[in-house]
Amino acid sequence: MINTGANSNSTPARPRPLSPNIQIYRPQLTSVLSIANRVTGLILSFGAVGLVVWLSAAATGPQTYGVVQGVIESWAGQVVLFGCTFAFFLHLCGGIRHFVWDTVHGFELRSIYISGWTIVAASVVLTAAAWTISLFVAGGHP
Amino acid sequence: MIIESSDQVSRLSWLKRFPIPRNFRVTPESRIEKGRTWPAPADAKRVKAFEIYRYDPDSGGNPRLDTFHVDVDNCGPMVLDALFWIKNKVDSTLTFRRSCREGVCGSCAMNMDGTNWLACTRFISDMDTNATIYPLANMRIIKDLVPDLTHVFAQYAAIEPWLRSETPEPEKERLQSPEERSQLDGYYECILCFCCTSGCPSHWWNGNRFLGPAVLLQAWRWLTDSRDEAKGERLDALEDPFRLYRCHTILNCTRTCPKGLNPGKAIAEIKKAIVEREK
Repeated sequence: MINTGANSNSTPARPRPLSPNIQIYRPQLTSVLSIANRVTGLILSFGAVGLVVWLSAAATGPQTYGVVQGVIESWAGQVVLFGCTFAFFLHLCGGIRHFVWDTVHGFELRSIYISGWTIVAASVVLTAAAWTISLFVAGGHP
Repeated sequence: MIIESSDQVSRLSWLKRFPIPRNFRVTPESRIEKGRTWPAPADAKRVKAFEIYRYDPDSGGNPRLDTFHVDVDNCGPMVLDALFWIKNKVDSTLTFRRSCREGVCGSCAMNMDGTNWLACTRFISDMDTNATIYPLANMRIIKDLVPDLTHVFAQYAAIEPWLRSETPEPEKERLQSPEERSQLDGYYECILCFCCTSGCPSHWWNGNRFLGPAVLLQAWRWLTDSRDEAKGERLDALEDPFRLYRCHTILNCTRTCPKGLNPGKAIAEIKKAIVEREK
């Protein structure tokens, strides 16, 4: 017979409290990057909708395309686009890290931390490179 | 910061908890109320404050957070010593599990400064100011720092943690080569303290169906045992969207294991074994 924690027969059974989890557990590179992979995946799914809107606008005609392009080229549009670029690279690098784990490699704690910080650094570098190329080399911005 | 082994205490002084409300997803009976503060002895010179989760099932009230002031000059070096100091000198109702006091039994697993570890192998000097002590995360609490482990032990029983064999019993022991025996290294040492399972976000959200890292590490310990003959059935039982595949390789388990084991790797081995047998 399992003790259910009820006080006695006369008082209604009070459920045992659940000890805190996410409310107190310390954020670590492990959990933070896992959440980041989820969040960037979510951002990219919205970004994909944006991409479809942009392509549809281009297919509709110059006037519609001009409106959408105007939004993208606005200050807020550029910030969102920059965020999407970073999300893309972090999610990509995180995905590669998960592929390696699926082959049962890189599980030593030291490797977990090195690969974790590596994908963060790589995402920053790749985002900076992508924007440098699009702004100054390809000359995309009007 | 690169963590080399799980016993390294994080030195980051910012972001000690996720920036979410204290009562995020907390049901009314689990809300933690403000408790009382116990002063240090008058003659104490070096004092350390410990905020400790308290729950008294007989009071009918909610859990609370009491603050104790420990005279560290008059106390042993480990967190477990501080708990004994409090129980002996301040409040004898403080309740916690302990046995071996040397990291072998796994009884005193609890959440200290936000991560799970054994109170007997964590130095007081490595604790924050104030130090915070909660029971193992995400467990139903019997009293104070004593969690109800019925569910996780039932999950353990579900993987049938014993040798399964069809062949007739040998006259003497079942032999293993040194190489076969070495396959168990890193897995047989698990003391079932459930630090990893209690620190796993996937188990927080789906603990009723996801087996969790401690139990899955044990599952691999039997899968990789050369004497066991139920590998296929064991993999069949694990091949399930929840029991095994709720593991998203977050790896809080490997970060927190007080024995330095690698539940994350064991789970990856199981996933790989399932893929390989389907080739």
